[in-house]
Amino acid sequence: MFSEVDLGDIQGNIVKAYGRYGFPVARYVFYHISSAEVGRQFIADIVPIVTTSVPWLDPSTIPLVTTNLAFTYEGLRHLDVPEDTLHGFSDEFSMGMKARRDIIGDTGPNHFSRWDPIWNAEEPGETQHVHILVSINARTEEILEGRYQDIRRILANAIAKFPEINKPGVTQLVGHRGPGTDNLPYQPAAALAGRGDKEHFGYSDGISGTFFRGCGEDPMLVVGGGKPTGKDPRTLAGWEPLEPGEFILGQPDESGAYPEAPGPPLFSRNGTFLVYRKLHQNVASFHSYVEEEGRRFPGGKEALAAKFAGRWRNGAPLVSFPTEAEANAFVGEAVALQQRVWAKTATPQEQARLAELKLQFVAFDYVEDLEGARCPFGAHTRRMNPRSALEFGQKGAFGNPAFDTPGALTNRRRLLRRGLPYGLVEGHPSDEGDHGVVLMLLNADLSRQFEFVQQQWVHFGNDFKLANDKDPILGNHGTNRNCRAAGRMIIEGDAKTNTPPYFCGNMPTLVETRGGDYFFVPSLTCLRMIGLGIVDPT
Amino acid sequence: MANKSGNAYALTLLCPILQGSPKQAPEGMSDQTYADLVRYYLQRLRVNEQSPMARVPNTYLSRLWVLNDVPYQGRPAVLEHLKSNYLVFSSNLHGELEAYLKGMWTAIEREIREILQYCVGFDRVTNLETFIEYIKLCQVKTTFFFNGSTDEPLAAQLKSLYLKQELSKFAFENQGKSPAELQAAFRAFVARTQPANLARPTWKAGAYHLDRVVLD
Repeated sequence: MFSEVDLGDIQGNIVKAYGRYGFPVARYVFYHISSAEVGRQFIADIVPIVTTSVPWLDPSTIPLVTTNLAFTYEGLRHLDVPEDTLHGFSDEFSMGMKARRDIIGDTGPNHFSRWDPIWNAEEPGETQHVHILVSINARTEEILEGRYQDIRRILANAIAKFPEINKPGVTQLVGHRGPGTDNLPYQPAAALAGRGDKEHFGYSDGISGTFFRGCGEDPMLVVGGGKPTGKDPRTLAGWEPLEPGEFILGQPDESGAYPEAPGPPLFSRNGTFLVYRKLHQNVASFHSYVEEEGRRFPGGKEALAAKFAGRWRNGAPLVSFPTEAEANAFVGEAVALQQRVWAKTATPQEQARLAELKLQFVAFDYVEDLEGARCPFGAHTRRMNPRSALEFGQKGAFGNPAFDTPGALTNRRRLLRRGLPYGLVEGHPSDEGDHGVVLMLLNADLSRQFEFVQQQWVHFGNDFKLANDKDPILGNHGTNRNCRAAGRMIIEGDAKTNTPPYFCGNMPTLVETRGGDYFFVPSLTCLRMIGLGIVDPT
Repeated sequence: MANKSGNAYALTLLCPILQGSPKQAPEGMSDQTYADLVRYYLQRLRVNEQSPMARVPNTYLSRLWVLNDVPYQGRPAVLEHLKSNYLVFSSNLHGELEAYLKGMWTAIEREIREILQYCVGFDRVTNLETFIEYIKLCQVKTTFFFNGSTDEPLAAQLKSLYLKQELSKFAFENQGKSPAELQAAFRAFVARTQPANLARPTWKAGAYHLDRVVLD
């Protein structure tokens, strides 16, 4: 039987977390289309360098640079994709991110009026000015610049093919904030030099992935990345791959049906939706809150930071490593072994031990922590991927035998998570300046997956029995009547050790939206069809 | 026989496409499967009167596409897959199959070789005889064949369509004329349209835009 998922037809950023393959630098370049002919020529000419999801089984096959494309609803309309096809898209995609602000919490400090200028450059009558996203990831800054210039040439050549069109036809948009400017022609992003996988608050990021059937990635990544089976989460038996239709259009999803998608089937098959968000981090607010509250919190500020995230800042999961000493010993051993493996001095036993330790970063659930004594219910990672925690320890909690699996309330809310930090915080921690994370999330259904998580799990707490508490790190906490920061978090106590719960109040908003939109990531086939102008829904 | 309706013949082929990707990808098509390559070739074929199939004698209509898989009906149906991707060729034609295939091979051998190059077993096709054998191996019996036109040869059908269109124009243009004028006009009409000459003037094979179909 042939492969069910045609990875050569699926863009590479969907399946591959490029960061894991050694691409520490990236640029996100945006375009506006005013001539469909030039736009289609640009797409047709750029398709040959688009990176696919075909596995890089041998490290020698990993390219030096990757390139991927995505389009907003208005972008597709400006490429003359037929009306009938456009009508097949969901409301949330055609409305765009700004119009969905009340649902996803982009109000107050997150409101689009505070976003980078590129997102507010609409001309009269436009709903979206950004039409195309080209994302480039590379091994080095020099290679990145080379590919960036290649793409500029491809665009210039496409424009030159239409001398009769009295305008550029496709324009690269400026208006990204960066150091000392608000007019960069692209959004740069890069892993923080010398800090490994850390983001600006100091947490190791991007540890736990999401694994679906047919994705072609290392089969061991199903542990912690798939859906829980109810068996031992430390073993392969504890996990199954998610159905591919949760992330890839034209494939069956967790409900046993195809995700809704526009016609013709060839247009949407092997495509997906991308959520692009530029998230600013209030680094000074984070440090001062953790510092001040950490003086009172038993265990101190490092333990408090761990309770916010559900992981110690070195990445060790709280549920498996409840004390700082255990977490440090665990990560210390893993780092030392990793260095020996990289130096090619590790014995086979040491290599096996490293594989075992790596698994422990992700191979857990919350069944042994039903009271939240180790990892709070409200911790960021427990909210974003509750694993089997929404069963609250009751086997058969979901009644209907067809859906009675421990992850029944979680499996349809999963997201593929990509992205890199941007900007630098030099010297004294600051809320000002331009630094944060470019977050990219991929899913087949923006409403059911991204928007649900953003509305119900980031900005509400009812599913976790936390009333209207928000995610401590991502929540838009707002201010109370006294103009004080209004965020709060309950850190559950531990009945066994007679530890009382701890209440964090007056938490400031730590992360603010600075730009973004919803994009469609077409298959290679679809890109070629757009380029040829032959999308036909009849 | 279900493939036939009078003199009309329904030809359906399912040609299995090779699995995987070629070792040497064509320019700009790295990682693409053989099925993707076949589809991209088909998508760039010219259509209507410029289609290669318009040059194949006695083709009433034809369609080529790539079938990736059978659709899944959702639970409680079982998820099933085809054993391969298929190139599907479906056509309605006039006459006998072998004569038609001979006409096809003679008219568009180069295009046939390009279209079928990534199909399983096509490497054994070297000449007309092996082509006919290959097609018969891939043929699927047509059921419920409904022929949407007469079963006359294509040239006769194209000429009839042409004459019908021209006669209709004639009626509009000559309304209210005297019998003598009308007769003179009709003689001129017959001389111009040559009803007995199937070769020309007539409709071009493959054309469907009424304003640019006539072969003068």
